[in-house]
Formats: sequence, structure tokens, C-alpha cells
Amino acid sequence: MKLRLTILSLMVLVLISTIGVQACRKKEMEVPKGPTPVSFDIPQGFPKPEYDFAGNPLTKEGIELGKKLFYDGILSADGNFPCASCHQQFAAFATFDHDLSHGFNDAFTTRNAPGMFNLAWRKEFHHDGGILNLETQPLAPITAKNEMAETVDNVVRKLRASTTYPPLFAAAFGDAEINSQRMLKALAQFVVTMVSANSKYDKVKRGAASFTQFEQAGYTVFQSKCATCHQEPFFTDGSFRNNGIGLNPFLKDGGRIRITGNAADSMKFLVPSLRNVALTFPYMHDGRFTSLQQSIEHYRSGIKQTPNLDPSLQLGIALTNSDIVNLTAFLKTLTDSSFINDKRFAP
Amino acid sequence: MRFPSPFSVLLLIAVMLSGCQREVDEELSNAQLELTITHQSGGAPLQLGTPYTNGLGETFTINTFKYYLSNLALVNGNNVVTIPDTYFLVDDETDSTKTIKVQVPAGTYTGLRMLLGVDSTRNVSGAQTGALDPVQDMFWTWNTGYIMAKLEGSSPLSSAPNNRIQYHIGGFAGTNSSLRTVTINFPAPVQVERTMQVSLIAEIMRWFDAVHPLPIAQTAVSMTPGPLAAQYADNYSKMFRLNSVLIP
Ligand code: HEC
Ligand code: HEC
Repeated sequence: MKLRLTILSLMVLVLISTIGVQACRKKEMEVPKGPTPVSFDIPQGFPKPEYDFAGNPLTKEGIELGKKLFYDGILSADGNFPCASCHQQFAAFATFDHDLSHGFNDAFTTRNAPGMFNLAWRKEFHHDGGILNLETQPLAPITAKNEMAETVDNVVRKLRASTTYPPLFAAAFGDAEINSQRMLKALAQFVVTMVSANSKYDKVKRGAASFTQFEQAGYTVFQSKCATCHQEPFFTDGSFRNNGIGLNPFLKDGGRIRITGNAADSMKFLVPSLRNVALTFPYMHDGRFTSLQQSIEHYRSGIKQTPNLDPSLQLGIALTNSDIVNLTAFLKTLTDSSFINDKRFAP
Repeated sequence: MRFPSPFSVLLLIAVMLSGCQREVDEELSNAQLELTITHQSGGAPLQLGTPYTNGLGETFTINTFKYYLSNLALVNGNNVVTIPDTYFLVDDETDSTKTIKVQVPAGTYTGLRMLLGVDSTRNVSGAQTGALDPVQDMFWTWNTGYIMAKLEGSSPLSSAPNNRIQYHIGGFAGTNSSLRTVTINFPAPVQVERTMQVSLIAEIMRWFDAVHPLPIAQTAVSMTPGPLAAQYADNYSKMFRLNSVLIP
């Protein structure tokens, strides 16, 4: 008798628990088959990314949508200025051979377009660090009168009205709803996958290549004279510094002070990465130097004594002519040709 | 062989069901807070486009008045029940934004607390939606951050183009933060089972002089985070007062 009761209670238990588990599982099963997850690989020697992938999980469809948006003029007022008009893959996503880039209505940008890569490890964006999240970065070019000259509202409206985009949003996000958040997350998914870590320098680090004598000599000079600011592996320490280039009399750009309003930040700019630097000419925030030699020569003989000049540059940097030749050779080893030829980033 | 005791059976069931815990939590927020805000100018309902005179004797007209309220919380003495994910953009032009409804746990409360603005975390957390969507035109694009409060209009005392007055108050970091916590105390503890109606009055005149006298003649336009923006925030954080608390 006792045995039978226990068996009965066991059966009840099994029944209840299956119902319980079923109730929970049912919800999981109702979720439609979603987009295909993509993992983000951290190159050897790179730290943990800053970007919050948990808040915007990478998917094949999300990245594809982001790429389509990046190359589509629909984000600009007259259709002529997609992101890619200023960010060209063969120039490591800087604007090729332009000090300032062209935007809407024959206007120029007020700064030199930087290359785009390794954005996942960045905390601050733009030359003055004014932008604090990769996802909200596109709002700046989209709404700037001298760049894409649009409103976010109107861009969303155009995407909704198109025939191509609703299915792409549905594939990426599970339903065809189009809003600014989804657009920005898709763009972020695409640009965050732009990782450049396969230059000759990286291969040397991995033991898969070796420097020439000149490159090695340049690397040695670099480590002792440049790396305090242009720190490996990103070739920037992420700080804001006045490297003594002096105020551009036409643009009158004070850099970081524009964001903080603090006089101590006048003429400080974000230390740029030097990866792919041979491709991203012209140089500095205003594109004033056309060659690497000129940029290096600046540190030797061109430092202007302006307020907040970095203490380490007060006397300039002592460099011999052969140091400059060797440094140039070394900087060219930072060119990542597999990155600029990577089909994943091409239209 | 021993068969499971009734106790372990119960335990097992509890374990199986705990996978669905979340809904139970949500069910705890079984009451509703209805927060209504009435905008006034000099004690009368605010009319956009109508000339007023501020406490400093200056004439002005408003055509846009918007601000964020977030991180709503109910207070009971030292206990603070923060209501998760509460972000609202109150826009004078749109009446529906002046009534805010949120689910709250039933209980006894002595006051209401809210953040005037958008907390620093959400300023830098990437693309947002709803009240925080950049289409609301309350987000600075080149200098990341929300405009916490926006007042626009005109005044003959303004020397800006078209006598415009334009205050976009924001900044979420450091000494120049424009974030302000507003606490509204109820006259007596209120016991809420189903619905609680809190009615607040926001007096626009406070914008110019509640703490710091900020004449239009001196500043007609303020568009960046900084010490001045922080002073406006000090002022407008004093614009709220309790009109009534009702348990209908
Ligand atoms: C008209 C040219 C132009 C267009 C179009 C443009 N950009 Fe840029 N981009 C620039 C310039 C110039 C800068 C530097 C801005 C600054 O520092 O103030 C920049 C900076 C950036 C940066 C920051 C890079 C860094 O190192 O800090 C990213 C990321 C970026 N752009 C992505 C985009 C995306 C995504 C789009 C399309 C939504 C876009 N850009 C459209 C010119 C452009
Ligand atoms: C005190 C910090 C500091 C040191 C040391 C320093 N740099 Fe720079 N470098 C900067 C800053 C800041 C910028 C950006 C300036 C701007 O945008 O106007 C920059 C820009 C550059 C650029 C232009 C990159 C681009 O994409 O526009 C090159 C090239 C460069 N540095 C090379 C070097 C070399 C080579 C050395 C060593 C000889 C060196 N730097 C030492 C701070 C430094």
C-alpha cells in the first residue's frame, strides 16, 4: 500500500515537472529562428575590447545590414554622401589623399577623416574625443550640415519607405521594425568588425616574418622616442596631447577644449593610431602634412611653443637623418594589406 | 531502495518551477503610479507663444519646453523603491507626455523621487530607443550626451538673432553635471494598493531665478555643458511642487 502511494506520488511528480519544464521551454521554442551569431576574435596581444558586445550581439545578418547602410547614400540628404564617400577601404577607411573631405553642398569637413579600424578597443572617438560610444558616432556625420546633412528622423523614414530595407532589418533583428536604434546597432556591428592586426609588424611579433635592418633600426628609435604617446599594440595610448603643431589659422580648431571647455585642454588632440599610417595621408587633425617624412620632421624641427605643449616635446625630439629614414621604413610595416583587401569590408 | 519523501518531491517541483522566476517578480509590481505634471507660468497654465514677464522683470515668450524625467522611485523613510527602466520625455506641446503611468509595488510611501535628466550611464550606453531615441532631438551628436532640458522662445532682451532665447541644458559628468534629483514629500504616508495619483506643478518662472538670478539680457543662449548650464539646472530643479496625492 505504502509503496503504491509513493509510486503514485512519483507519477504525479513526473507529470507536474514535465508540465513545468514544458511551460518554460515553450517560450524558448516560440522565439523564431533568429539571425546567425558571429563571434568576435581578439587578435593575439590585444586586450579585452571596450565595446559592449553583449548589448549588441554580432550576427551575420546584422553585419551585412550595417555594411549595406555604410555604403548607401540613403543616409545622406542628396544621396551622394554615404559613409564610404569619406571612408575608403583602400585608404584604411580614411579619405584618400584629402586634408579635408567633401560633404553635402560643396562643403568641406572641418577635420581630416581618420582611418577606421580596431574601433572595438576605443573609448572615445573623433579627434577631440567628443563621442563616447561607437553606436552613437554615426549621428554626428548624418546630422552635420557639411557632411551628410540629414535628420535622424528623415533617414528612418526613408529606410522604412524603401523596399530593400524592411526584409534586411527583419533578417537582422527578427522583425521588420526600423528605428534609429536598430540602424545604429547594425552600423556598429559592421564597423566594429574592422580589425587590423595583420601588418608586417604583427607578423614579426608573431614570429612569422622579420624586419629588415632599416625597419628594425626604426622600431628601436620608435620605441625610445615615440611610443610614450603612440603606445603598442594600438600605437596610441588614448590620451589627448598637444604635439606642438600649433593652431591652424583658418580652422582655429582648439581640439579637446571644445568638449571640456577647459583651457588646459586647448590644442590637445587624441593621439592617433599609427597603424596603416602609410595609407592615411595627409596627416594630423587638419591634414596639414602630406608625407610621413614631413610628419616626423615636425617632431625634430617644427615644434611650436604653444600653451599646453606636451612636456616631453619642449625641446623637440632629437633625430638624425637616418633615424627619419628608418622610422619611415618602420611605420610602413604597420600597413595591413589583408585589411584593405578584405572582402568582408568591401561593398 | 528508498523512494523520495514528499519533502524532496516538493523541493524538486520548486526547482523545476524556479526557471520561470522572472514573471513572479513582475507580478510584485501590482499597483500603478499615475504622475501628472501641470506646467504653469506665474501660477497660471503655461501657454506657448504668450508673452510673460519673469521675476527679473524681463518679457519673454516660450515656444518649446521639454525635459527628461528618469529613474522614478517611491520613498518610504529610508527605503527607496526604484522603478526600473523609467525614462520619460515631458514635452509641453504634447499633453500625453504630461501623464506618466508606471507599475509599482503596492505599499506605503512617504514621497516620490526622480532624476531630472538622463543618468550618466544611459548617456554613454550606445543607441537607445523610446523616449531616449535621438529622433526626439534631445541628443548632442558631436559631444555625446542628452539635452536634459530645453527651453526655446524669444525675448526683446535677447541680442541673439531674431531675439531668440535658446537654452539646451545638459552635461552628465563631474562638477558641470546638470543632473538633479528631485524629491517630493507627501504630506502624510500614503498606502497604495491599486492606484496612486500624484499631481505635480512645474513653474516655468523658476527657470530664471530660483537659485541663481540669470537674466535673459545677460544670457539668451546656453548650448553646452558647463558651469552656466549647471546653474540653470539648479534653478529648474526647483520648479516642481506637489499639487495633490490621491488614492482613487
Ligand atoms: C563628409 C565626410 C564624412 C562622412 C560622410 C562620414 N564621415 Fe566619418 N569621419 C569624417 C571626419 C572628418 C571624421 C573626424 C571627425 C572629428 O574628429 O571631428 C570622421 C570620424 C569618424 C569616426 C571616428 C574615427 C576615430 O578614429 O575617432 C568614425 C567611427 C566614423 N567617422 C564613421 C563614420 C560612419 C559610420 C559614417 C556614416 C554614417 C561616416 N563616418 C560618415 C568624415 C566623414
Ligand atoms: C607627446 C605625445 C607624442 C609623441 C611623443 C609623438 N607623437 Fe605623434 N602624435 C601625437 C598627437 C597628439 C598627434 C595628433 C595631432 C593632431 O591630430 O593634430 C600625433 C600625430 C602623429 C602622426 C600623424 C598621424 C595621422 O594619422 O594623422 C604621425 C605620423 C606621428 N604622430 C608620428 C610620430 C612619431 C614618428 C613620433 C616619434 C618621433 C611621434 N609621433 C611622437 C602625439 C605624440
